[in-house]
Parts: sequence; C-alpha cells; structure tokens
Amino acid sequence: MRVPFEWLCELTGIEASVDDVATRLTNAGFEVGAIHRAGEHWDRIVVGEVVRIDPHPNADRLNLPTVNTGSEEIQVVCGAWNFEAGDRIAFAPAGARLWDPYADEPVLKELKPTRIRGVVSRGMLCSTKELGISDDHEGILVLDSGAPLGRPLAEALGGEVLEFELKANRPDALSVLGIAREAAALYGTQVRSPIPDDRAGEHGPSQPVQLQIDDPALCARYSAALVHDVKVGESPAWMRDRLEQAGVRPITTIVDATNYVMLELGQPLHAFDWETVRGGFIGVRTARPGERLVTLDGQDRELTPETLCIVDAEGPVALAGVMGGLDTEVTDTTATVLLESATFDPVSIRRTAHRLNLRSEASRRFEKGLPPELTVLALRRCVQLIEEIGAGRGEILTADAYPEPSDPAPVALAFDRIERLMGVAYDRGEVRQALSSLEFGLDEVCDELRVTSPFWRRDVTAPADVVEEVARLVGYERIPDTLPTGQVMDLAPGEIDERDDEARDVMAGLGFAECVTYALTSEARMARLVPPDLLDAPPDSPLGDEDAWATVRESAMDGAGRALADRLLPLDREPLRLRNPLSMEENVLRLTGLGTMLETLRANRRHADRDLLLFDFQPSFLARDGDLPEEPNFLTAVIGERVSAGRWNETGTVELPFVRGVVDELLARSGLPADEASHDDLQHPTFASGASAAVAYRGRLLAAYGEVDAEVAEAFDLDERSWALLVDMPAVREASAGPPSFSAWSEYPSALRDLAIVVDAEVSQAEVNDAILRAGRPLLQSARLFDEYRGEQIPPGKRSLAYALSYAAPDRTLTDKQADRAHNRVVRALQHRLGAELRG
Amino acid sequence: MQERLDALLTSARAELAVAADDAALEQWRVTHLGRRSELTGLLRSVGSLPREERREAGQAANAARRELEEALETRQTELRRGADGAQLDVTMPGYPVRLGSLHPLTRTLREIRRVLAPLGFRAVSGPEVEWDRYNFELLNIPADHPARDMWDTFHIDDKARPGELLLRTHTSPVQARVMEQIQPPVRVIVPGKVYRYEDRDASHEAEFMQVEGLAIDKHITMADLRGTLTYFVRAMFGPDRELRIRASYFPFTEPSAEAEMSCHACNGDGCPVCGGTGWIEILGSGMVHPKVLADVGYDPDVYQGFAFGMGVERIAMLKYGVTDIRSFYRNDLRFLRQLR
Ligand SMILES: [Zn+2]
Repeated sequence: MRVPFEWLCELTGIEASVDDVATRLTNAGFEVGAIHRAGEHWDRIVVGEVVRIDPHPNADRLNLPTVNTGSEEIQVVCGAWNFEAGDRIAFAPAGARLWDPYADEPVLKELKPTRIRGVVSRGMLCSTKELGISDDHEGILVLDSGAPLGRPLAEALGGEVLEFELKANRPDALSVLGIAREAAALYGTQVRSPIPDDRAGEHGPSQPVQLQIDDPALCARYSAALVHDVKVGESPAWMRDRLEQAGVRPITTIVDATNYVMLELGQPLHAFDWETVRGGFIGVRTARPGERLVTLDGQDRELTPETLCIVDAEGPVALAGVMGGLDTEVTDTTATVLLESATFDPVSIRRTAHRLNLRSEASRRFEKGLPPELTVLALRRCVQLIEEIGAGRGEILTADAYPEPSDPAPVALAFDRIERLMGVAYDRGEVRQALSSLEFGLDEVCDELRVTSPFWRRDVTAPADVVEEVARLVGYERIPDTLPTGQVMDLAPGEIDERDDEARDVMAGLGFAECVTYALTSEARMARLVPPDLLDAPPDSPLGDEDAWATVRESAMDGAGRALADRLLPLDREPLRLRNPLSMEENVLRLTGLGTMLETLRANRRHADRDLLLFDFQPSFLARDGDLPEEPNFLTAVIGERVSAGRWNETGTVELPFVRGVVDELLARSGLPADEASHDDLQHPTFASGASAAVAYRGRLLAAYGEVDAEVAEAFDLDERSWALLVDMPAVREASAGPPSFSAWSEYPSALRDLAIVVDAEVSQAEVNDAILRAGRPLLQSARLFDEYRGEQIPPGKRSLAYALSYAAPDRTLTDKQADRAHNRVVRALQHRLGAELRG
Repeated sequence: MQERLDALLTSARAELAVAADDAALEQWRVTHLGRRSELTGLLRSVGSLPREERREAGQAANAARRELEEALETRQTELRRGADGAQLDVTMPGYPVRLGSLHPLTRTLREIRRVLAPLGFRAVSGPEVEWDRYNFELLNIPADHPARDMWDTFHIDDKARPGELLLRTHTSPVQARVMEQIQPPVRVIVPGKVYRYEDRDASHEAEFMQVEGLAIDKHITMADLRGTLTYFVRAMFGPDRELRIRASYFPFTEPSAEAEMSCHACNGDGCPVCGGTGWIEILGSGMVHPKVLADVGYDPDVYQGFAFGMGVERIAMLKYGVTDIRSFYRNDLRFLRQLR
C-alpha cells in the first residue's frame, strides 16, 4: 500500500524525517519496501503562473501561454487546453530534464528550445506523465492556487510516498489512518482522526431506503446514505494529488470521494445511481439460478449460486465487494447517489474475486475481514468530503442494517505470561503504556490485565497476540540472547538416515559429482527413456495418454527388466500430474531422475569436459491409492567419460566392469557384501541389451546398470556412449546386514597358485567363481579374477579366465604338497563340472 | 685380500656403469652388497684371519663396502636425472587423481545441521507431496484465509480428492507431523525441498531447499530464539556477525520476527551484497502459535517454543558468492567443481 508521507504526518502530527518513520514502522512490523520521492529526478521544474494565453498564428490546435516563473516571463508553445490564465502550473524551462513520455523505457531527456510551426518555445507546461507521477497524459498538471510561485515543484507537491509491504493479518493497516495509529503510538503523538462527529440529527433520512440482509454470516452490516444534488465532475487538485500519490487514478468527484475514504479509513464504499435502483430496495443475498449481471467492465456474467450479490427489487445490481453493475453506475447525469458501506464475509468475497479473477483494492480489504463498526464512520466521512468538494448534499446515515452486533470478549493476560514467553521482563507501567497507546482498553485485576481491543483490532484474540503488541511497541531490541536449556529429545520420528550422507560420500569418493535436480519434469522427457519405435506418440509431444506407457509394458521385457520397469525405472506407472503446471516442460513429478540426468550429461558434454561422472540422490514419486505417494530416494548416476589416473592424457574407456565396480563398492559400503548380490542380464528398453545388468538380492531388484540404449542416447542428443546406474537405496538398506562383522584370518603364510582355464563362452564367470570357491573349501581363502581372454589361441566359442588363488590353514603353515592337493581339487572340479580345460 | 677387493671393486664399478634402471640397480645391489655377495663373504672371513691382519683387512673391506654404497647412490641420482643430466620438472601437473564432489546445497545443509546439532536439534524429514491439512490447516492457515496468498501453491491433479494433495510450500508441515507423534521436549530441524508456483529468475526458484527449526518445551522463550539465531549466524558467517530482529507476521507464530544479520561482506558498512544497508535478511521466525500447539494436542498453557525457517540456497549464495539461484539446479560441472 502507498501512503503519502504528508498525509501520514497530517493525521499524526509527527515531525520526524521520512527515513526515521520508515525505519521505526518497519521494525514494528509494518515493512516499508520502498520510499518513493516525487521529483527525485526533477531538475529546475518549478511552479509557474500562466500570465496570458495567446493564439498560435499558424496552428489552431496549439496556443501560446506566457508563464511567469517568479523571476521572468517565458512564452512557450502548448498543445493542451485544460488551463486558464491565472492558473499555477508545473513549468519546465529549456535546460530542465523530463521523462520522455513516448519512450518505451523510462528515460530522462533534456528539454531544448524548439521552433514549433514558426514560433520558438522556450519551455514546457508539464503533464503528470512527463513528470513521472502518473500515466495520465491528458492535459497539463494544474496546481493549487496556493502553490508557491517559482519554487521547485517537488516542494509544492510534497513528495515522499511510503510503500508498505503489508501482512495478511492487519486489515486495519490497509489505510492511512491505520498506519497513522501505529506511527502515533511509536512516536507518542495523538492520532488526529479525520472522521467527523455524528451529525445524524442535522441531516435525517429524506426517504425510506429498505435494506434486507438474507444471511448475516455473509453480510454482517450494511449501511447506506443518500447524496442529493450530485455534481459529477473533476475533483479538486489536492484530492487528485493524494489519490495519485496513493496509486489510485482520479475519475470523477463521487468515485474519487469513495476511493479517498477507502484509502484513508480502509472501508471500501460503492456508489449507486439511486434512480436506476428499482423499488427503493437494497438486498444482500447469494445469486439465484439463472441470474445474470452486466458488470462495470461491460461483461455479461452468469452468476453462480455462491456469488454474493447486491440486488434491488428486481435482481442483481452489483457483485458484493467485488464489482458494481453497469446499469446502476454513477454517470454525468446522476442526480442522487446511494453510498453503500458494508461488511461482507471475507471468504465469500475472496472466492468470488478469485473465481472471476477480479481482485481489486476493495476486494483485498474485504478479504482480510473488516470491522462492522467502520461502515457508518466511513459513510460520515464520505458525505463530509462530498460536501466539501461541492459534489452534492448528503445525508449522514439513511439506513443501517446490523442484524447481529458482535462484541468481542476481552483477553485476559497474566502479567507474568509476558516474561514467560519473551524471556525478558517488562514492567507493568510499560505494558500499560504500550497497549493504551494503541488504544486498547485496559482493566487491571490483581496480576491480570483484561485487554479490550479497539474495534479495528479484531486480530487480537489471545494472550500471545497481546504479548506481541507489547513486545513490538517496546521494540525487539529489548530481547536478549539466551540459549535453550532443559532436556534434549532423544529420537525423532522421520529422522534423516545418516547412511544417505554416507552414500553421497561414497559416490563422491568414487569420482562422481553430485547434482541436485528438479523433481518436476515432463512426460515427454521420461518418454525419451524408451526408444521411439516402441512408442505410439512421437517423443516430443507430451504424452497425455496412457498408450505410450502401455506400449512399453508390452515390449520385450522379462524378469529383471519387468521388475525394473515396475519401480526403479517405472515406465508402466502413471506419474503424479500437476493441476497448475508452470509449463508443459514440468507438468509431472518424476518417476525417475534418469531423464533429467541424461540431459545434465548432455549439457555438460557441450563444454567438453572429459571427466563426466554425475550422480543425483533425490526422491522419485510413486503414487499410492488413498495415501501420499511413496518418495523413495533412488540414486541415479550417469557416466560419459572418465580420465584414468596414470598419465596426463589418458581417457579411460568406460566398460561394463567399471560400472559394476562402482555398484560393488556402493553396495559394500551400504552393508551389502558384493558377493551376496547376483548380477544378471537385463532386458529393458532403456538399456543396451548385452551391455547391461540387474542386481538382485534374494529375488529383490536392488540396482540396474549398463550402457544406455543407442536410440535412447540419441533421443537425448548424446552421440557418444553413455552409461547409467540406478540404485534403489531403500531396498539396499533393507537388504543390508548392518555394520560389518569381523572375521579372523590365518596368521600363517598363504600359498599362492594361479589358475588359467578355458571354458565355453556361455559359462558365466559367476559360475566359475562359485565352483572354485566350493571346491577349494576349506583351505581356499580367496579367488581373484585377473584376466579374461578370447582370441587366436583360444578355440571359437570359448574363453579363457585366469584367477589368482590363495590357500591357507588357520593353525599351521601349509606344505607345498597340501596346497597342491587343495588346488588340484579345484582344477578337477572345474574340469568335471564345467568342462574346463587347463590352459598353458 | 686387497687384491680380491680391488678386483671386486673394478668389476662392480663396471657393472654399475651399465645398470640403466631401478631393476638393474636392485640386481646389482643384491649381487655386490647383498647377504650372499662376495664382499659380505669377505667381511665375514675377516674373523678367521690371523689376529695381526684382521684390523687392516677389516678396514679395507669396510672401506670397499662404503665405496660401493656411495657409488650406488650416485648412480641412482644420475639415473633420476635425464640423459642430459637435467633434473625432473616438479612443476609438471600431477596426474589427474580426482575425487568427485558434493553439491554445494548438500554441503550447506550439512553445515547447518552440524552447527545446530550441539544445541540438540535432530534432523528429520517429511513428505514433499503433502496434504493441505499439514501444509496449511494445522499451521493456522485455514482454507480461504488471505494468508494463503503468501504461498503460491502447486496442486496435484487428483480426481479422488480434488484440492487435497499439493507440493509442500515450506518445510513447516513436518513441525505438525513431528509434534503429532511425540510429546515435548521437541528439538528438530527439517531440511528439504519445497515448491512455489512462481516464475524463475535470478532470485526466485519454483523448487528450492528450506531448513525449518522447531524447539518446544515448557520454558523456551523468544530470548532463546534470538540467542539460537545469533549463535547460528556467527557459526555460519563468522564471530563478528550481529543479529537484529524485527516484528513480522506468519500465521503459525506469535509473536513473529524477521531476522537480519550484519553483512559479512562489508561488516555492516554497506556494499552490493547487502544492497548498501549493511544488513542481510536471513530468516523468518517466531514463537509457535498457541493454536498450532493446541491442534497437535499440546497444551498451550504448558508448552511453548520457537520455530524458524530459512532458504538454503540463500545461505549458500551468501557463503559462496553465487548471484543466480538457478545455478544450483543447472548442475554445470564448472559450477559444481568450483564450489566443491
Ligand atoms: Zn554489505
């Protein structure tokens, strides 16, 4: 809200500087976001007086005013006609700087003497737009006749405007008077209320206005006053200035007066042309089926049954608190006006304003809940203003419906409660002083204060509210620094798992850079995880239908691939959709982070870094019926290239075993020994078959990794080979055995034997390894694969595997003979069970 | 004896001159200085010589041994220089041995947790997709309350329960979730992602991280809040930081306070970081509203406490000098590696 400083000073008698007032109000909870200073950029613009106006010899639409600047008389060429000789105006002599009203961007331009149609103009009469104080470019700014001749314009206009960023709890502060009350309390001055005394007796009702409120819950009070002999015209400059400074465009007298009261007191008023209101009747009720209203903006609206309306004897004439009707609008010919001052239900107004997207200065005030006591005060002030500006002759209160007057109960506050909450003492005098300066009624009973809120402070309903009033009035500087003492809680529900930190540390230790990605994504981005030929819809169109996913479901997947598609890369689930997305690029919550991570990989490839290992450890969102979605933290890693440690220029090629090495280390560090999980071929459309694997433990899928399918990579604009790793960390946690347990090793030397065998290529390494471990028991301590070979010296369809085996006994040094015997058992088992041949 | 030593030295020097790498040097060492070397044999045999010869022979053999050891060292040094005798260039870059990195938000979150842990705050998490009830109603923000305008909300399109599911707009719903489940004392912080229906620019994100703090007990006061915040900004931004708080409004606290710290970049003199004011807004806070306490089943006449909430990106931006909040979500390796 914009509050002209001069207006605020008038209501408070404060003489402090604008900066000081802004700071103190801000600290008390009324945040001043900006101080606008009219004329901050003005230069040499002064108050001038039009001495005479001559016609332009060569142009009928121009005239030649001569302006007295206080020190000289200057003739200019002017295109506006809204002034007369004797008027005081804003005058810019040549050399002054003005806003260029025709530029798109605000820009200051120096004014130069110019020749216009043969006559030299050595200055300019300014419009408010050229001065940068409003967008109104019609006509020049005519000042009060009392404006000091020759003085800088900024001085004459006053100037500073405080822009408040107000909070939702203080409807009273949406008014100059409300801010003034706070400021006066802070500075210890008396508020000078602009509300005139009750003169109802002098101007009684001239004719009956029949009021009817159907539901007091929707309209607590409706007050009305008639204004006769209405003259609709331009308001005086002082009123127009204040309206403009406060950000409201002046229109005509009656509307200006109602807006002025809204700004000053916070009560929105509405003016009806009384002669267009049928039947001398005003009612407040919700709309009936089929009712329509043409509103002030010219729109013919069908009214929904929950819309609160103002009606006359025949039907709706206004949307209560939101917008008036066109038929009852005050016009140039209006003779009698009915002023409405009412208290509408905040929720009803808020809903209607939101639904119709018609939020206004008025509806914003109603939404916050206005006190019913204010209606008659606002009417009184408005009638006074209308008479003062000669716009009509008003009745103070013609009719008033207030079916259920409310009287809020006082709040009981024990004095010691203040210290208990704030942690610092306030003496009683100080407490009373703070509260009474804000016009709270006080009644002290023993150690308790009964606090009655003034009618405009309906937000104060509980002891804590009163404590806040005291604390902020005294100032938060009073509060000291202490640290909480007392018992510390032990375990909290939902405690963050330290192992999440460990998983991040492990990945960073393995060379991966952590990314934090958006949870919002598009269906199109997720659909690119499936090769386009498996999709019905092209990948760039948002997949609004379920067919695309169904296609994936039907595609070649079995076992691990299907399990993967069900959870870790859930292509056959429906994502949670937003009702109000910012764009179609982010219209769903992600089922998987892989699409986003492949995009991140692509983006990083553009600047040609050769070490591309990225991971993300943020939740995916899996919908559940009748409950919040599951939000598992899946770990998603992508790999482009890596630089191998060893030389400066060697780029390590990424192959499947590198990714497996990462998986093994991560699982081991998560409490799941690498040899406990099984790795099997993966059939899944996102991964290249034959170069990808699924990791399971006791039949449950824990992870998947491998090379990204070439078509999928292409869909993400990745032309080099890319690798991905997905880990279901919650599942890993459930599978893990907890902290590792110690097992003793033999203290006697080990006997080492190498073993190279040739087996059918179909025999998996896991089978060989398993056979070795079984046959080597109990002396075999470990078997480590150190080579794989296929090629010339090996028959086609076969491969060679080489292992380093280590034998030891717990209680003695093995003799060569004993070691050989154990090793031969392993060799025989391989020959016998797997058809292996010893090599070399 | 001396003759044998001379012959041995001659052949050893000759062999050493052609030893060209570390392996050859080692072989040479074993041959000439090892336990089974001729020289070692000679040294051992000194004891069997006649008494009058022992002294001289021992000295000669030991001198030969020293000479060979020195020759070995010299040769090693020679080999480490290049062929032209130049020394290795120690300014050559190291081979790329690179750890990965933690995201700056992760690092900032960890620091916040580490700083607050000694005060007894335990870190908890809660769902990002939340019921309206937890995100708003249990925080004293009923439906159609104008305070709802403070949070532009993403709603989930849910046919079964329209309007009830949303993306949480703050981490505060976890306050209610924790309090519903346990009795005081409560002392938790809640880090996590939150969402606002808001166009992105350099200082606004639609998705960002918050940390919420909550302390409830019988005697926790606003002074404790202020003390905790002062401790926090000093631990995060240095011991010279000053804190100031001013009145504010949040529906779930009463009284409410906005906290600012003296600018760490200019020490309060005014600079671009603080917009020339010397102060930086850092978080919102207050004493938990009695209605919030009552709604989770706490007796507000017995229990009281404070809550605060801050944006993690904002803290990280101040700490690392980042000027565009969107940088945190672009995941550009140049950014991630700079701030590792
Ligand atoms: Zn600064």
